[in-house]
Amino acid sequence: MDIWLLPVAILATTTVLAFPLSRYLSLIMDGKYLAPRMLRWFEERLNSGPQDWKQYVGSMLLFNTVLFLFGFAVLALQPWMPLNGDAKGMLAPSTIFHSVVSFMTNTDLQHYSGDQHLSNFSQIFFGLSNFFLSASIGFCGLVAIIRAFRSDAHLGNFFVDMWRVVVYMFLPISFVLGVAFLQQGSPMTFESSVQVSTLEHGVMGTTNKGDAKQQSIVVGPLAAFVPMKQLGTNGGGFYGMNSAHPFENPTALTNFLSCVAMMLFPFGLVLMFGRMLKRLRHSYVIFTVMMTLMIATVIWAVYYDTLKPNPGLTAHGPAQTFEVPSATAPGGRRTVTLPSVAPMPVDQHLGNLEGKEMRFGTSAGATFAALTVDVTDGAVNAEHDSLNPIAALSPMVGMWLNCIFGGKGVGMINMLLYIIIGIFVAGMMVGRTPEYLGKKIGGREAKLALIALLVHPLMILFPTGIFAATDWGIKAESNPGAHGFSQIAYQFSSASANNGSAFDGLGVTYGFANNPAPAPEAVPWDLAAALVIIVSRFLPIIAPIAMAAYLGAKKSAPYGVGTLRDDTVTFGFLLLGTVVIIGALLFLPVAALGPIAEHLGPIPFGG
Amino acid sequence: MLKSISKSLWLLLFAVVICCIVYPLALWVVGQTVFPFQANGSIVKGPDGTPAGSLLIAQPFTKDEYFQPRPSAASYNGSASSSSALAASNYALRNRVATTLGPIVRYGSGPKDGQLVAPDIESWFQQDRFQDNPSILLQWADAHNSLAQAWVAADTMHAQYVTTWASTHGPVVEQFIKANPAIPQPQPSDLAVVFFETFSKEHPGRFPSLATHTDSAGKATASIEPAGTGTDIQSTFFDMWRLDHANVNLQNVPGDMVTTSGSGLDPHITLQNAMYQLDRVAAKWAVDTKRETGSVRIEIEALLREKAFAPLNGLAGEKLVNVLEVNLVLRNRYGVPS
Repeated sequence: MDIWLLPVAILATTTVLAFPLSRYLSLIMDGKYLAPRMLRWFEERLNSGPQDWKQYVGSMLLFNTVLFLFGFAVLALQPWMPLNGDAKGMLAPSTIFHSVVSFMTNTDLQHYSGDQHLSNFSQIFFGLSNFFLSASIGFCGLVAIIRAFRSDAHLGNFFVDMWRVVVYMFLPISFVLGVAFLQQGSPMTFESSVQVSTLEHGVMGTTNKGDAKQQSIVVGPLAAFVPMKQLGTNGGGFYGMNSAHPFENPTALTNFLSCVAMMLFPFGLVLMFGRMLKRLRHSYVIFTVMMTLMIATVIWAVYYDTLKPNPGLTAHGPAQTFEVPSATAPGGRRTVTLPSVAPMPVDQHLGNLEGKEMRFGTSAGATFAALTVDVTDGAVNAEHDSLNPIAALSPMVGMWLNCIFGGKGVGMINMLLYIIIGIFVAGMMVGRTPEYLGKKIGGREAKLALIALLVHPLMILFPTGIFAATDWGIKAESNPGAHGFSQIAYQFSSASANNGSAFDGLGVTYGFANNPAPAPEAVPWDLAAALVIIVSRFLPIIAPIAMAAYLGAKKSAPYGVGTLRDDTVTFGFLLLGTVVIIGALLFLPVAALGPIAEHLGPIPFGG
Repeated sequence: MLKSISKSLWLLLFAVVICCIVYPLALWVVGQTVFPFQANGSIVKGPDGTPAGSLLIAQPFTKDEYFQPRPSAASYNGSASSSSALAASNYALRNRVATTLGPIVRYGSGPKDGQLVAPDIESWFQQDRFQDNPSILLQWADAHNSLAQAWVAADTMHAQYVTTWASTHGPVVEQFIKANPAIPQPQPSDLAVVFFETFSKEHPGRFPSLATHTDSAGKATASIEPAGTGTDIQSTFFDMWRLDHANVNLQNVPGDMVTTSGSGLDPHITLQNAMYQLDRVAAKWAVDTKRETGSVRIEIEALLREKAFAPLNGLAGEKLVNVLEVNLVLRNRYGVPS
């Protein structure tokens, strides 16, 4: 009972909140919300005038460049900056490059551990600034597309849009959430760490002088950091273990709030899309399709991870022997035996507890795992590496489809691409010119949509293949067999989906620049993941803006009997089918080689 | 272009001032004035008045008088949170759980209901037969090369022992080098598997274990010696014993007791886990305070039930206990554990 109550409560609360939020969002983005005079001064200061789509995209890229340089400078100068109580050094250059790219694109895939490698100065001026700004950039991309669809005279002004999103929306909500996190136990201090002598003397070991070691606990401005991490679907952890860490997520209530916070804007944006286009029913259909997929991923994860025990500790058998072809064995065949395995005497009625925290609730880890990838947040409150093998398919599918609400604006943009493709295919099948929002979809629009859509699988499958076949991947795997392959596939899926969660065992951490023993393949991972992130972030924003601009410039076709209506159940099924079929065709082989193969066994695999 | 650059810089400046200075400072003021305890890390003081720990961060306990937290993949290091990242299919996970279980598991039915399994693991090990084949140690080292190597690497005394062994077993080492031309100068951990193979022939039913001897002058010396009993055998070979006794009914151990948490710093255990530890804790405090076990047990059980809470008031999960909070009460109530 309580297993399903938590996910249902999270989904229901967020849906209810999304309605008023979407109204407020469309007021702000249409400029109908009048801010206090003082704040409007800033708007005027930033306004560079009306922009067409090329100017809007140009400003966006330019601002990203500025953000990149700023982030790089903050991290590179870490040893000389204040608020660095534990005297942390400089990260390896490749890791700085990867981290800056990752944070400025809202991905927040981390090849470092915040608690070990970043000072409070870096956490605030690198992490927090990117949390606010990167989330707003994707958001503005979606708003630009909507205005283009509406055939507005211009697309508004990028800088003013950014200001409105950051200051009128993110800041107030983030502050309120921050107070809640404080009350629940998140620290809010500029100290770096607290030293405590443990209750039982000497349990942390002894120093060279023979004194009892103290437990050193890293603290910091968590209450400011975490709310925006979630609201902006950023997901970059203050600590290495992200929202599993007790300071980053102290209670079941903050876990609930974290889930609601990361889903709030993705939900609201879909409705805002309908409001701004005055086609609310159309966005209800999209919302329902996304919700259907989300519910499916949650049920899958909870069913296979919370309601099933960890298969590594259960009985398997009886023993089976197979004959398999082998190039090296004499006669070309070799016998392989799956041994019988006895159960460990462990009570697993709470499900798979490896890598889970207790305080969030029984199904909280699995629920969070599904939600965090659906909305491309990437924060984790459990170790995804240790999820039951088949349960881990849920977060992976979430990243592969990349349109189950998705991140700030970008998920909705991806869904638009599926809509265009779906309508295009449906139009071809019945032999009618496909139309969307009354505009005829031509070859150019379909091509742009396809380019944007195909970037994602290409950026996952190619690097995964290359790394799985070379030392770059093989030496980084920390688990044997199919799971090692899953680790590689997961990392690139996470990079390409702008997600940021990971199978943490993968050896990708270089650490400080002077680290004598970094992970052997950390540099190729830093560079490859950063490139994937850049391509998979910007192409799927720019191409759709161009597509929307071309589409918006066309004359509206009159509504006729043959028009495919976009606000019906039929359309919902068409969209669902397009998403599922394209996603399944593209990624089924990876799923079979990774989580499905691991699930089928043998478990344990090897010695 | 120039205009856009200047606007970009203005936007960055405004955003940094508001989001990275004004906003955190405002929350900092709220935190330090309204919620100073939480804002500084929920630090609690020990009996001597110094900070003893954070209520939100697990710390290790080894004495039997205290409740023990969940095992930690981060070694309870408060500045390097970490999970095990072990996949379910990784034998290392099963092995880690089996190693923890061996010394504490009890029979769940039959003539030995409630008794420890550990003595039977030892006698089974001494008989030295696994699945109808002789030599348990040999089969263990063959099946789990990495565990054999990990044993050698775990302790300098282990490596020393293997080095000494290698110096007296020239032909075996030469044969190893011939079979592994890639390793012309094998280190102790390279030799782990052949070492155990020879050891099992020379000392059937024995495992190289740490032994402490006190000489006539009262000086203690530690050395590695072949032994037929001990925690090493109970923990290392529990998994194999279990394979030989797959149908024996054993008492289940609470899941959170043998699994590591996501952060490695999970401050809670389930009430079920605490109840499982209650007998041990109560018995030990009873000895320390020279009181009757029954009454101490009742007191501590009442304490556990008083401190237990469930996530979201029971809507989301089962009852939990904060380990440090409870242990702090025990320490203040019953004094220093002996």
